Amino acid sequence: MSLPKQPIQQRILKYTITALIIVGSIWSASGLEITLEKILKAPEQIAILVGAMFPLDLSAEAIERILPKVAESLFIAWAGTVIGALFSFPIAFLAANNVAVNYISETTKQILNGIRAFPELILAFVFLPITGLGALTGTLAIGIHSIGTLGKLSSEVIEGIDEGPLEAIKSSGGSKINELLFGVVPQVMPTITSYWLYRFEINLRASAVLGVVGAGGVGAELINQLRFRDFPRAGTVLVATVVLVLTVDTISAAIRRRIIKGRSVKV
Amino acid sequence: MINLPKKPPPSLMVFLGIPSALLFSYYCFLKVGFNLSDFKENLENRYLVTDPLFNPKWSWAIENASEALVETIQIAILASIVGCFVALPLSFYASQTTNQNKVSYFLYKSFLNLVRTIPDLFWAMMFTVAVGLGPFAGVLALVMFSLAIMGKLLSETIDSIDPGPLEAAKSSGASHNQSVFTSALPQVLPNFTAYFLYIFELCIRASVILGLVGAGGVGRIIETQRIFLRFDRISPIIVLILLVVILIEQFSVWLRRRIL
Repeated sequence: MSLPKQPIQQRILKYTITALIIVGSIWSASGLEITLEKILKAPEQIAILVGAMFPLDLSAEAIERILPKVAESLFIAWAGTVIGALFSFPIAFLAANNVAVNYISETTKQILNGIRAFPELILAFVFLPITGLGALTGTLAIGIHSIGTLGKLSSEVIEGIDEGPLEAIKSSGGSKINELLFGVVPQVMPTITSYWLYRFEINLRASAVLGVVGAGGVGAELINQLRFRDFPRAGTVLVATVVLVLTVDTISAAIRRRIIKGRSVKV
Repeated sequence: MINLPKKPPPSLMVFLGIPSALLFSYYCFLKVGFNLSDFKENLENRYLVTDPLFNPKWSWAIENASEALVETIQIAILASIVGCFVALPLSFYASQTTNQNKVSYFLYKSFLNLVRTIPDLFWAMMFTVAVGLGPFAGVLALVMFSLAIMGKLLSETIDSIDPGPLEAAKSSGASHNQSVFTSALPQVLPNFTAYFLYIFELCIRASVILGLVGAGGVGRIIETQRIFLRFDRISPIIVLILLVVILIEQFSVWLRRRIL
């Protein structure tokens, strides 16, 4: 049976991608001095570390130490998300090209891109000398990064709205402010709120990490316990973080689903 | 007077949800020590950071950081390739379309979820302890990172494929593996490539900070310089990283357009 051949362009693309992947991995592996010996030894080494973590250190002292740190990560993530949500909401209107004038929307978008380019950790250690070690630094870092990401997402939501209601308001004599308040906001609010929650889930993971540079949260605890070779306690930190993240993810996903779907209303 | 339908009363969620969210926000700001007057006072120290930050030492950065920057890119390339290709078979087990066995479906799905909950830098910390400091730990950490994302994205794509071709293959006598290989895989391959490029971008960004915990790459240099507050040396490195990230993003946008 003779099958039709793929067009030549597609075949070339396919072979180029395959070649790129092979060349890329060989170049990287040799550059990083990753040998077969290292790879073969790794599973055993990881098993030793995991073995050392169990049974977890569940003594009262450890829990008293770890739980407040885990909670601090939660507070940082929420406060950072609130900062991001508050500031990104008006900015998103400036960045949306169907609401703002063209050049304002373009500049705002570029500013948001610039903010987004800096990872939270880099923002955190730039803030450290100003705001000091602690949770506030982490909150600001996460808040500012969230302004960038939420601003972009929200402005895209605003750009995707149905223009009909706006026209209706305009034709019945509504002002530009009326258009925004009664035409745009009700349309975009559910999606934007669910993006806030989604960002909160991401920020929780980020705030857990921020402790590494001393910006508050559970990360400092993990790195310290690993440095002191107190593996059962490091295991407790890890498990506590996983439990918190899973719980928050589940609750937040349920709320997001409810916001997007709405509730069943009897008319 | 027009007879409008009655507006439904606001739900319990709005009644309870919004006030409790506001209260919780207030509590959080209290807990993280948000204090405007302290903040204003501390803001006067900003010259410590901003002065050097805006006086970058380019020659120093290019001389000392370019090698580490290449290492960062290598970590991201290797980790995203390995992670995504390990995730490829796992995703088929973590989708109910291609895995009818409820128990193993649940196990694979939970495994992917578990990997996803652990932040990238936590993986890096653990791997530096397990296999020693250096880029190998960074690669392993990002393998887990990309594995988790690809597993989630791809298994959800497989959930939504057209089951027709699978059935056709099975009814013409293909084994389960054969039918998946010939009918499910080609359907998701374009998505796989697009996700791969997306994950590669994420890995480039993530690999920058791996060095902060000793897992290789340019973060190592950032870490040593930031301890001495040498922001004049850090800022050109950050700009270099941004340039690399933008270049790679442009490349992957171009490639994605060709594929999809």
